[in-house]
Amino acid sequence: MNSSGERPVVDVAFQGGGAISAAEKGDRAKILKRLRFGDNAFRHVTRAAAIAVLIILSGIIFSLVYGAMPAMQKFGITFLFDESWNPVTERFGAIAPIYGTVLTSLIAMLIAVPIGLFIALFLTELCPMWLRRPIGIAVELLAGIPSIIYGIWGLFVFAPFLQQHVQPFLISLFGNVPVLSNLFAGPPYGIGILTAGLILAIMVLPFITSISRDVFEAVPPMLKESAYGLGCTTWEVARYVVLPFTRVGVIGGVMLALGRALGETMAVTFVIGNAHRISGSILAPGTTISATIANEFTEAVGDIYTSSLILLGLILFVITFIVLAFARLMLMRLNARLGK
Amino acid sequence: MSTANYTVPTVAANPGNADNLVEKITVKNLDFYYGDNRALKNINVSLYHGRVTAFIGPSGCGKSTLLRVLNRMYDLYPNQRATGTVRLDNDDILAPSQDLNLLRAKVGMVFQKPTPFPMTIYENIAFGIRLYEKLSKPDLDNRVQQALQRAALWNEVKDKLDANGLSLSGGQQQRLCIARTVAVRPEVILFDEPCSALDPISTAKIEELIDELKEDYTIAIVTHNMQQAARVSDFTAFMYLGELVEYGETTRMFTSPSDRRTQDYITGRFG
Repeated sequence: MNSSGERPVVDVAFQGGGAISAAEKGDRAKILKRLRFGDNAFRHVTRAAAIAVLIILSGIIFSLVYGAMPAMQKFGITFLFDESWNPVTERFGAIAPIYGTVLTSLIAMLIAVPIGLFIALFLTELCPMWLRRPIGIAVELLAGIPSIIYGIWGLFVFAPFLQQHVQPFLISLFGNVPVLSNLFAGPPYGIGILTAGLILAIMVLPFITSISRDVFEAVPPMLKESAYGLGCTTWEVARYVVLPFTRVGVIGGVMLALGRALGETMAVTFVIGNAHRISGSILAPGTTISATIANEFTEAVGDIYTSSLILLGLILFVITFIVLAFARLMLMRLNARLGK
Repeated sequence: MSTANYTVPTVAANPGNADNLVEKITVKNLDFYYGDNRALKNINVSLYHGRVTAFIGPSGCGKSTLLRVLNRMYDLYPNQRATGTVRLDNDDILAPSQDLNLLRAKVGMVFQKPTPFPMTIYENIAFGIRLYEKLSKPDLDNRVQQALQRAALWNEVKDKLDANGLSLSGGQQQRLCIARTVAVRPEVILFDEPCSALDPISTAKIEELIDELKEDYTIAIVTHNMQQAARVSDFTAFMYLGELVEYGETTRMFTSPSDRRTQDYITGRFG
């Protein structure tokens, strides 16, 4: 470098590169300048995209809170615990839809999480090669079915089937068992909390399956081999090595599925029965937050009615947030138990 | 199989101190296939109790493949198969009726990279023991301590048995894996390039450990490092392109190899 200091950028960039002419240096400085401009533009564009998320999120929160304000002022905290939902007297309470939302999602998770994990474990650990793709594609197709189709299928096919064959069986099976007899009491309607939970389970199954399959596949083969090398069976490898190793990913998949189950609207609205009450039996009709909003938005006359529906939406938002926070907490505790 | 054009293992023919050697594993006419690709060609070799046998050779020569036959690890994957006979004592390892879990409990393996399980240090050891034995808590504690002591790791971890295995350094993790293997009381231990991911000091510790372990076990080690083979092993097998070129006592192999290719390899002319 003969003229160091004059064009610092070029000097740094081409140190040790041998001699280049002054004209070339000028060209290269221009090129570098252009590249730097591109780099800056890239930085600003990506930052703007990231900030857009914050703006959209706060906008949604603001409008939810703003729209829910009249109902919050009128009912206060009692809104959360009131079971009544009476448009005529304008008395509204959220406990029935909250109960329905949480219970249907809980049923869905109880069914879909083990089945989804089993499918994923089968696909990654046991399934012969030629069967992997067909099953994998089938699971992904399940995710591609629009929820309205689950709704009509649930209403016209699945619910009658449950009503005629499954629910009478459940009722007679648990009729004499304490606690369970209350859970499975009442006439078989077909539609109800249980049916909605089952439909939700089918809908979230692909999420759990495909995410867990992907994280299971990411387990280093050597780690699995060292467990097999100790003489572990496939089940022991899955239970004590694969699942703990992938717990973050699996819990992430489960939470994504739970988020979908909590917010799912169309299919649930079809099969849940839309009754604003809490009954001990999971065979009885109920309602969820999203089903209530979808059903009643068009007929919500009066500010308080509309505002109550928006407040319901806000509550759903908060529930989802709590679920996410809970997931984080659970992960932290799991990590603590496994040693840090 | 009669077309083999390499020196047949020499130990049996030229016993030296072979009188007191006990054959633990005997490999006869072993071929191995990845699909249609023949990766091992008519391998004949014996592993002796209380001795370390090193497998050396350039990458892709089949040393790791041979090791993976000895505990049937290849069984986990489709389209891999072995023909011939491999005897552990008088048990045919390759027999379809072979109980793989029992076999792998007898033939432990340590891998190229440390692979601690995602659990605490204590659990990493106790896990394998619990697969086979139901022990009371004090007995289990005892066995865990013994295994960690055997792997020369106890003093470093005795105060943090509840820490995650991954929190240890690479060399410690590898010794943890050795402790885990020793804990289930195997008869044979296979080391597949156990030091390839470790620094020189950790490597020295592992080699020392192998030397201590060998009186109780039959040990096979695959290594890229010829000095390591010379340091730790009693017998050395040189493999090339899926064939076992030469096999004999380590001192003889490194001082007067009988095959030209062995000589070229150990003098660094290729590989």
